[in-house]
Amino acid sequence: MATLFQSAASPLLHRSSSSCCSWLSASGGGHLKLKGEDAVRRHGRLVVKAEDERNGSAAGEVVAKPRKASPLQRGGTLSGEEAEGKDPSPAALLANKKPLMSLGGGMFEDARWKNGTWDIQQFTNSGRVDWDAVIDAEIARRKWLEENPEASSNSDPVVFDTSTVPWWAWVKRFHLPEAEILNGRAAMIGYFAAYLIDSATGVGLVDQTNSFFGKLLLFIAVTGVLLIRKNEDANNLKTLASEWTFYDKQWQATWKNEEQHPVSEKEIKL
Amino acid sequence: MASANLLGSSSLSLATHSTTKTTAASAFLSLFHPKFGRSAISYSDRSLTAVVAAAGIQKRLSGNGFFGNIEAFRRNEVCKRVEIVKDMVVVRIFAGMNSRKLEGRKLRVAVVGGGPAGGSAAETLAKGGIETFLFERKLDNAKPCGGAIPLCMVGEFDLPQDIIDRKVTKMKMISPSNVAVDVGRTLNENEYIGMVRREVLDSYMRDRAASFGAQVINGLYLRMEAPKDEDSPYVLHYTRYDGKSKVGTPSKLEVDAIVGADGANSRVAKDIDAGDYDYAIAFQERIKIPDEKMAYYENLAEMYVGADVSPDFYGWVFPKCDHVAVGTGTVIDKPAIKKYQTATRNRAKDKIEGGKIIRVEAHPIPEHPRPRRVKDRVALVGDAAGYVTKCSGEGIYFAAKSGRMCAEAIVEGSAFGQRMINEADLRTYLRKWDNKYWPTYKVLDILQKLFYRSNPAREAFVEMCADEYVQKMTFDSYLYKTVVPGNPLDDLKLAVNTIGSLVRAYALRNESLKATA
Repeated sequence: MATLFQSAASPLLHRSSSSCCSWLSASGGGHLKLKGEDAVRRHGRLVVKAEDERNGSAAGEVVAKPRKASPLQRGGTLSGEEAEGKDPSPAALLANKKPLMSLGGGMFEDARWKNGTWDIQQFTNSGRVDWDAVIDAEIARRKWLEENPEASSNSDPVVFDTSTVPWWAWVKRFHLPEAEILNGRAAMIGYFAAYLIDSATGVGLVDQTNSFFGKLLLFIAVTGVLLIRKNEDANNLKTLASEWTFYDKQWQATWKNEEQHPVSEKEIKL
Repeated sequence: MASANLLGSSSLSLATHSTTKTTAASAFLSLFHPKFGRSAISYSDRSLTAVVAAAGIQKRLSGNGFFGNIEAFRRNEVCKRVEIVKDMVVVRIFAGMNSRKLEGRKLRVAVVGGGPAGGSAAETLAKGGIETFLFERKLDNAKPCGGAIPLCMVGEFDLPQDIIDRKVTKMKMISPSNVAVDVGRTLNENEYIGMVRREVLDSYMRDRAASFGAQVINGLYLRMEAPKDEDSPYVLHYTRYDGKSKVGTPSKLEVDAIVGADGANSRVAKDIDAGDYDYAIAFQERIKIPDEKMAYYENLAEMYVGADVSPDFYGWVFPKCDHVAVGTGTVIDKPAIKKYQTATRNRAKDKIEGGKIIRVEAHPIPEHPRPRRVKDRVALVGDAAGYVTKCSGEGIYFAAKSGRMCAEAIVEGSAFGQRMINEADLRTYLRKWDNKYWPTYKVLDILQKLFYRSNPAREAFVEMCADEYVQKMTFDSYLYKTVVPGNPLDDLKLAVNTIGSLVRAYALRNESLKATA
């Protein structure tokens, strides 16, 4: 593969000062020879000729300047876990630790998976479809395929759509338990907050609810619980807010420049 | 002083005016409001003095959205001086009118780079009567590229049908769990995505520019010398190749303005301190596959999404003239690009089995515009400026369009080559470009941030693509480059469905994380 790449790439390397392949070689992908003055510039080194050095040792001494990062490291490249994306799958994170993912895991197989979709008949017992089992099966399938990506096939296409599972099954499985937990938390906090406020100010629960201040605090508490459920959520919201306007700032940068370097005023000539 | 009352009136009502002032005022307005169009501008006007009420400016500009506020108006170069005369604000527009008339010669402009941006810029400049020099370092260059052009480009740039190798009318989107969705049912017979070979497209546009009078120079741009004052020329240093020897002769050329169309690694951009941008690396292998497998890709292109294929982009299989291009790209994990390419090839394994790799290529793709796109009389267009959309990574159409818009601004500002131009004229092009295409770019940025975020988001994305309304909206906006609002009820349904898909996909993933944790 590497030699194929080199032989295919060498025709691209002529009188080009910005050859794409010089990148990949600079990052150590091969031993392609670069031509021209750019070779020296690109590697960020200064080659001091032997005549300048009077100590008479080796033919040429290399004085290393701090090396500018290669093109593959610049331009938005992240490293470590961040390089897997904003919301990486656990499989992607693991893949870095173990060697290149093997496709030896085999294809995904399940008795209930027929013709590229789940056979709902097989999930039915006594006339009622067990949607929870369908959801579990799909979870297992997606997890398997994340860890062992398969080739997409035309003869056996996957056509499963999650909307075949009715909305109430999703609500019952995912929304209700979490709603129960959140409501429980809100109730506990509310009870103790009401008790403390009552003991501190003598204002009873009914009067607390009627006051504007009470309503405001209630609103803040409810929104807070909805938005920030884990500690990371606070940071996530901040990141989302800055992400939302980042692109706009990049586009407007050229107009900001204009203010710093205003074009000089001219006299009117009518 | 004549006065114009613009408060709340959509048509220009100027009571007692000579034709010159009417023309001038509507010329002024056309710079800010596309509705007025260009028909009123007459280039023979010697003065572009327009008089408006300050409140009128405010109201008109605040309706324009993006750059519409009186502060920006005061500071941009089109308005050089704002005076208060009696109780009205007098705005005098320069736009090159203050520059000296060039005696005995036309304006000279060098376009550095002979791709779609340079070709279209050179053609428009040459048509406008400007002495144009188009520099291209390699006349048979096959720039690594997806090669997809939208339908509107064929019409707007009068491209002949024979440079289009293939007309793609179907796309297949494949999710991380291999859910495959066919997209393209909503296209009619005349709509397609054109696949072109870059060497064919680029040389066609260059030759056409040459036929209008542009001088195509086979040379490599080295550097430019800044002019001493506003009327002095730029000195452009380049290596001229005469086609016989590999070694060129160093030469130089004096020009009045430079258009930098030299691509993602633009040297012109470096010379004007345009700043850096984030870029993706796009890596592509051209694979020749057996004929029966090639028949599947007759007019179909595929898009693979998944964390294995790319952490923030997509992998593709695009049909070319007689082979397919299989590739992928990424911004944040560039050193691992080969791993992603292997994964892409594995996902398409069944369909490209038995194929032979005939070429491997890679190139950077800018992610956003450079911090500075114009400096004095140098402007950047195309990839050099960073006009590549997010989400789809489309750049050919925007390169050609920006080249044309920049050239049009130069032609106007110089009154067809008779006067010297200045930075104000080039900023006119920037303003028109930003106003026209900002919604497109922003929408695609939102889509990328939303749907390329994680595997559940990608699954939801592919699920949404099955919806006919989504397909229609996507193709309409891609093929015709306008953000079409559509029917509000359908939009609401679409929003509900999108949220539903995302919620379901994330619920499945979170449940699986809980199971392993």
